[in-house]
Amino acid sequence: MSVSYIGSMSSTMLQSILDMRSKLDDLQRQLGSGEKSTTYAGLGINTGVSLVMRSQLSALQSYDSTIANVGVRLSVAQQALTGADNLAHTIKTAAVQTDFTINQSGKTGEQTAASNALDQMLGLLNTQAGNRYLFSGSAVDQPSVVSSSVLMNGDATHAGFLQILDQRKQADLGADGLGRLDITRAGASVTVAEDAVSPFGLKISAVNSTLSGATVTGPGGPPASLNVDFTGTPTAGQQVAVDFTLPDGTEQTLTLTATTASPPGDNQFTIGATPTDTATSFEAALNTSIAKIGATTLTAASAMAAADNFFDTDSTHPPQRVDGPPYDSATGLVDGTSANTVQWYTGEDGPNSARTSVSAQIDPSMSVNYGMRANEEGLRNAVKNIAVFAAVSFTANDPNANDAYTALGSRVGAALDGPANQQKITDISAEIAGAQQAFDAAKTRHSQTSNMLTDLLQQVEGVSQDDVGAQILSLQTSLQASLQTTALLSKMSLVNYLSS
Amino acid sequence: MGLSQALAAAVSGLHANQAGLSIVAGNVANANTPGYTRKTINQVAVADSGVNIGVRVGDVQRQLDAFVQKQLRSENAGASYADLRSSFYDQLQQIYGQPGADTSLDSIFNNFTSALQALSASPDDNSARIGVVSSAQLLAQQLNSMSQSVESLREGAESGIANAVGSANDLMKQISALNTQIAQSNQNDTSKATLMDQRDNAIDQLSQILDINVVPGLHDQVSVYTGSGLLLVGDKPATLSFDARGTLDANAQWSADPTKRGVGTITLTSPNGTPVDLIETKAIRSGQLAAYLQLRDQDLVQAQNQLDAIASSMASALSDKTTTGTPVTGPPAGFDIDIGSVLEGNTFNVSYTDKLTNTQRQITFVRVDDPSVLPLTDAATANSNDKVVGIDFSGGMASVWSQISNALSTTGIAASNPSGTTLHLVDDGTSRVTITNASTTTTVTSFGTGDAQLPLFLDQSAAYTGSFRSSGVQSQGFASRITVNAALIADPSKLVTYGTVTTAGDSTRPNFILSQLTGSSLTFNPNSGIGTVNSPYSGTLDGFMRKVIQFQSDAASTASTLKQGQDVVLSSLQQRFADNSSVNIDTEMSNLLDLQTAYAANARVMSAVKQMLDTLMNM
Repeated sequence: MSVSYIGSMSSTMLQSILDMRSKLDDLQRQLGSGEKSTTYAGLGINTGVSLVMRSQLSALQSYDSTIANVGVRLSVAQQALTGADNLAHTIKTAAVQTDFTINQSGKTGEQTAASNALDQMLGLLNTQAGNRYLFSGSAVDQPSVVSSSVLMNGDATHAGFLQILDQRKQADLGADGLGRLDITRAGASVTVAEDAVSPFGLKISAVNSTLSGATVTGPGGPPASLNVDFTGTPTAGQQVAVDFTLPDGTEQTLTLTATTASPPGDNQFTIGATPTDTATSFEAALNTSIAKIGATTLTAASAMAAADNFFDTDSTHPPQRVDGPPYDSATGLVDGTSANTVQWYTGEDGPNSARTSVSAQIDPSMSVNYGMRANEEGLRNAVKNIAVFAAVSFTANDPNANDAYTALGSRVGAALDGPANQQKITDISAEIAGAQQAFDAAKTRHSQTSNMLTDLLQQVEGVSQDDVGAQILSLQTSLQASLQTTALLSKMSLVNYLSS
Repeated sequence: MGLSQALAAAVSGLHANQAGLSIVAGNVANANTPGYTRKTINQVAVADSGVNIGVRVGDVQRQLDAFVQKQLRSENAGASYADLRSSFYDQLQQIYGQPGADTSLDSIFNNFTSALQALSASPDDNSARIGVVSSAQLLAQQLNSMSQSVESLREGAESGIANAVGSANDLMKQISALNTQIAQSNQNDTSKATLMDQRDNAIDQLSQILDINVVPGLHDQVSVYTGSGLLLVGDKPATLSFDARGTLDANAQWSADPTKRGVGTITLTSPNGTPVDLIETKAIRSGQLAAYLQLRDQDLVQAQNQLDAIASSMASALSDKTTTGTPVTGPPAGFDIDIGSVLEGNTFNVSYTDKLTNTQRQITFVRVDDPSVLPLTDAATANSNDKVVGIDFSGGMASVWSQISNALSTTGIAASNPSGTTLHLVDDGTSRVTITNASTTTTVTSFGTGDAQLPLFLDQSAAYTGSFRSSGVQSQGFASRITVNAALIADPSKLVTYGTVTTAGDSTRPNFILSQLTGSSLTFNPNSGIGTVNSPYSGTLDGFMRKVIQFQSDAASTASTLKQGQDVVLSSLQQRFADNSSVNIDTEMSNLLDLQTAYAANARVMSAVKQMLDTLMNM
């Protein structure tokens, strides 16, 4: 504000004193607050820089809090994944033990351990990081998997895994335990035929014979069948080998050897006096041997297949159930519905990949995907095989129980390893570790940028105490000088020097 | 020369000395009186028949430089203008907050985006949802309060005008009265000089209120005109009147039409009774009044427009959904669009290539429910490249179809309505155009539509659609009315749930909001002063907000620089004026000494004459 003229005092002088005074006041405020200005206008041309830097800083802070937040989730997830992988390893080792001692509930100690492992596994898959389920894809408020008792036993309306297992066993073994094969003999001709075109039971894939005096045909079909027509007398030691495909895709060869001994040993048939006698012995050997396969490897393979049916599910693949009752003569699988079958995975199951189901923006240009689903192949495979190993039970007086257990154990052991190209839990772990590394890198970058921005902002918005101090000092000097001069000037009036 | 003559001369000398002394005394006494100019007195020698017979006291003179005085008055107006504008800008700066303070607009906006960022990382987290809602509320409240502050500053300017008009009237009356008194005094004595001082002082004060031009007349009379040439004081004073409004809102704007005017106007009624609207004629060019008018009708309106642009762009960026039409392969080729859900203020548009000139053109249709606003200008949308056609929906759909057809009739596009609310836009057979696109932009008014868009911000409780009504454009003053949707406050999960089944961890909607606010390029209305009609500002919302703060800070520092410059000019002029006119005590004292000596000398002459006469008598 300009001052109007007052007396003899120079108004320019007064103006400059006032200016100096207000500048001094402002410097004092700067010294106190450390801020160059209380308004954006006071920052002058640096306003834009200050605004942009503030917004960048704020963005960096929010990215950092995202990183911290999601970082916790990822650490928790890593622990869960490590735990799950350890469990899978433990059960893999236990499953291939050949020691067969069962307890009252028909299970070995290893199976009991597997049952506990399943509980733990499901617990790990339901891991939460701050109310957030980590293995449910984007349905972070939904538990990832059902409890082990629901998984195994289901409830009043939903079939659990044990029921699926039992139905599949019925379907694979058939009522007579012969793996859905019909073994018939007409005179000297023995026919082994699949009872229907179905995914169940033993599938005849090939037959090879070294028998002389017998015509071996097959496998024809469908349904596949083979025929051994004895026309003469085979020589002892000659063999018929039948290859079966089991429900889990494994192959089993049944080799019957001609012998002169009577009664014949295991997998042998006695060369009779007539072709019909030989055929009769051959038929009996077939019945015995196939029944044994049914009670051992087929049972184990059926359990594996049931596990695939129950566990290999996603949004487009519902669980598969034997189309029955009756189950022992069923010829197909039907989709289990959410109304009648337990859905073991209860999280989100969209068409996109598990990883992309959840993502976090950690940089203006960088988004990290870190979604996980319990039904991803690696995790599913572990749950499935631990569950199937824990589920099958045996009876103490069953002579085939030990073989069946071994067949199951070796299958579970192999399946827990899985083929080379199959996703493993460690693969998930590695991918999450990749995300963690990206987080760390971003965090370091952010802290560097934010230090730089804070420094710059301080330069733009802040003041240096030394600077302000020096300015105050020099201003004080000139203000004092001005005031003194003004005082002197005002005293220098002729009035003072006139003698009265 | 006789002794008696000498005695008479000495007496006249004493008289002159006394008169001089009274001038000195007056000068000294008034040394600090504002507007007082130093007085001097003329002495004239009186001679008779070639013989000096005494001294006569002449006119009392005022010491002033008329040229400097004229300049001073003109700079007075400029300085008051700059000073007032700068002080208003200082106040306006306060609403944008201290740099980096929690209450500054940019911090509050940054907090909102941070909260969204947190929600994007944890969409399932209820506290993150509540965090977004509450930071959105803070932002809305900040815009409301900033808008109120702007309007209260406008109210301040309005009442400032009222006060200034009152003072101007008083001063004009004073000047006129002093003119009359000066005319009546026919002697150039001290009292006349004092009256003239008073008149100059009044004129100086008037020159701070508005720019004036002072024309001296005969017999020391002056006439005062506005800088634009309207007579303020002649024989009689003119009267200024101002119909002040108590409260202003963003819709209260000046208009030449009294029925549309929401603010007061200044009317000058000359002594012969003709009223002139000084705002309409742009007669006030400087001084406090000009500053108040500039602030009330330009600067603060612009600040309000900027806030409105932030508010309206933010609301529509989150709620507006653009749906591209279905291509019609033809021939004739074109597009089908459904205009069934177009709300008042929503748009649908068609882009086409004019084959003749091979130029790209766009026509934007705006739904209007109040036909009194028609026709709309092309400036109705921020987009500078489109032709805007308002379509009146109040007369039923049949009328809508025909309005669209008519609007397109000259372009080479045929519009028809095959069924329902579908608009069928195809080449009319003349093959003059290739229709390249057609789309509708509608406001989403509910949350679970399956779209990421959401009505996060509302105009009080109604949707913000950008409607045009006779009462004003919806965007005008929207910053003072913007609120967070109450449904969202009641249920913050709507920030995440956009469809019938949205998983809790689905960050689609939070990401959309975040990207609309910080990533998507929007076009802003040039009435904010940022960008021009032909090339409107396009950029992100947060970028625009920073531009606004910077714009205002630049304007404030420019106003302050201008003020400082004016202060320097005014001070130096005042100094120059004072050098000439002010009372210098030293000068007065030395004059006093002179007068004392002269008085003593005259007295000595008298005593000498007396002695001589005595000698003569005693002879």
